[in-house]
Amino acid sequence: MRAAPYLVSAAAVAVVGLAGHALTRAMPLPHVSILFIAAVVTSAAFWGFGPALFAALLSVACESYFFYAPIFSFRVADPQHIADLAAFILVAAFTSRLAASMRARTLEAQRRQESMAALLVFSEKLALAESDAELHAVILEHLEPVFGRPLSLLAPGDAAAAAPQGRRIEVLAGPHGPVGVLSAPPAGPAADPDYARALLDRAALALDRARLRREVAEARVKAEGEALRDALINSVSHDLQTPLAAILGSATTLESFGAQGNAARQRDLVATIREESERLASYIDNVLELTRIRAGRIAPRLELVELADIVDAALRRKGKALGSHAVRVELPAELPMLRLDLFLMEHALANVLDNAAKYAPASSVLTVGARVEGGEVVLDITDQGPGIAAADLPRVFDPFYRGAGPGERPASGTGLGLSICRAFVQANGGSVEALSAGPGRGTTLRIRLAVPEGAALEEGVEADD
Amino acid sequence: MTEQRARILVVDDEPQIRRFLRLGLEGHGYDVLEAGSAEAATRQAVGGQPDLVVLDLGLPDREGFEVLKELREWSRVPVFVLSVRSREGEKVRAFELGADDYVVKPFGMAELLARIKAALRRNVAAESGEPLFDVGGLQVDLSRRLVRVDDVEVRLSPKQYRLLQILVSNAGKVVTHRQLLTGIWGSAHPDDVQYLRVFVRKLRRRIEADPARPRYLMTELGVGYRLRTPEQLAAAT
Repeated sequence: MRAAPYLVSAAAVAVVGLAGHALTRAMPLPHVSILFIAAVVTSAAFWGFGPALFAALLSVACESYFFYAPIFSFRVADPQHIADLAAFILVAAFTSRLAASMRARTLEAQRRQESMAALLVFSEKLALAESDAELHAVILEHLEPVFGRPLSLLAPGDAAAAAPQGRRIEVLAGPHGPVGVLSAPPAGPAADPDYARALLDRAALALDRARLRREVAEARVKAEGEALRDALINSVSHDLQTPLAAILGSATTLESFGAQGNAARQRDLVATIREESERLASYIDNVLELTRIRAGRIAPRLELVELADIVDAALRRKGKALGSHAVRVELPAELPMLRLDLFLMEHALANVLDNAAKYAPASSVLTVGARVEGGEVVLDITDQGPGIAAADLPRVFDPFYRGAGPGERPASGTGLGLSICRAFVQANGGSVEALSAGPGRGTTLRIRLAVPEGAALEEGVEADD
Repeated sequence: MTEQRARILVVDDEPQIRRFLRLGLEGHGYDVLEAGSAEAATRQAVGGQPDLVVLDLGLPDREGFEVLKELREWSRVPVFVLSVRSREGEKVRAFELGADDYVVKPFGMAELLARIKAALRRNVAAESGEPLFDVGGLQVDLSRRLVRVDDVEVRLSPKQYRLLQILVSNAGKVVTHRQLLTGIWGSAHPDDVQYLRVFVRKLRRRIEADPARPRYLMTELGVGYRLRTPEQLAAAT
């Protein structure tokens, strides 16, 4: 019980007493008790029932001692005064009761408003939490002050194993069953059980939502996986079987010719077998890469390398495909070394070149250029092909997306090249985008790669040279 | 090699691969020995005295690497390693165990034939100890330590020359990073591939017309470097 309200109540009674004294000297006042009601009501309104009752008793003492004859004695002689005091006590008790409950209601409303505000903040934070870990942190941050002790939040499954003996356990139940278990060292109940309950309910709902979200995401990944598998099967059944049919057909035709047969025709058939086999090999490579990416099995081996080496290797590998295209390499001599996985990057680049070779007309110019721009090396591979409509630009990296080839038909190929390219560039910490001024204006594939900090190695070696 | 046909040992457990290699190689004037297992390979290598071995890494009884290792204990016969996919780790290991070339399946016969021819000739050249190397516009005279590019003498730092010298004496062959590093710096920097890259960059600036698109000093990604022989240069252009 705090003493301050009682002291202040006593002071209020004293003030009223002094005021009453001054008043009774100015004019006769038969019932001073009416003045003391003010002190009682004030006490009740500000400090509640206890101090008000205290003020009332003090007032009775004060009245009987100072105001009602005989003065300076607690005795009261006049029966009228006795009735007056009795009425005063009744009125004081009633009004202080009333004022006190009003005060309690105000306090309660105020407290509720504060809890509501806190709950609102809590809900907002729960909604903004991006990961399960963040969600748990928000829940604990808000619940710990309410329970006044460190808490831990466990998944419903591992609660039994992880909660040591003697820890209080509060199961957080969402609409779809338990979503978590709160475990804490033993202690008394929460300071504000209703507020604690509200927090717990919201936490449970948020955890439940998070679980649902997780399940939806998992389902989507699975569905995407299935869609991809369907697309793969389509691709295999069409794009892989076409060259196979050509190979088998050519080989059996050759067989049927026997020893005799037109030499030129035989050469044609042999050439078909070779070309289609090469096509098949590159399809299979791409499909294998895609499965590797999907299985999350690309672990880049990053090392400081020369971009020129990678460009050269990709150009050499795709030399045949690039055939009649005039390739122009414009790499500055002083490009910084980059931290990359040689093979992933070479593969990414080879796919871009392949694509350019496929879409750009024969003997058109293909430019591979690079420059340093704000801490990045920007590598542009520009062709003079049919270009890409702005609406299709973002889609070129989707697996199985194929642009129209020469003559409105979709170009041959699995439509995997650029999606593999993007995955590999990203695995190297880079980004790739397609740029085109529009149909008929050529395409630029732009790859951005960060220049690493340790790239200025050259000086160090110079001294050793 | 006068009129005698070169003998090639083909080691692969897949009969269809052996068959097409036999057909292709015999058609181009080589004698062919076959082995379908590591054990048969060792026996044939000892008994058949092949001039070149084509060795598949995936054998049923033992790893192809072990065959290579064993072979290198007593023979310097050129060995071509065959592998299904270009796996850089395997590639480096094969070269470090002394393989002469690395061919990824599927491969074309023309390409294989060109490489075999180069390797056989290289082997003969290496034994003759020819001090003059000449490819395109690049000439290296090992006896006089002279380097010329398009008939103009080029000055190299001692370490750049050492790098070129190692590549020349292995011309046409892939020399791994580690082999080059220990060849230049001894055992001091066996793993500092970046050092090597910087040196190659500098050497290219001296000997290549366009260092970004080298014609002589080729990069074998993740493995090492190779100096092209005239045949390899001709095949590439």
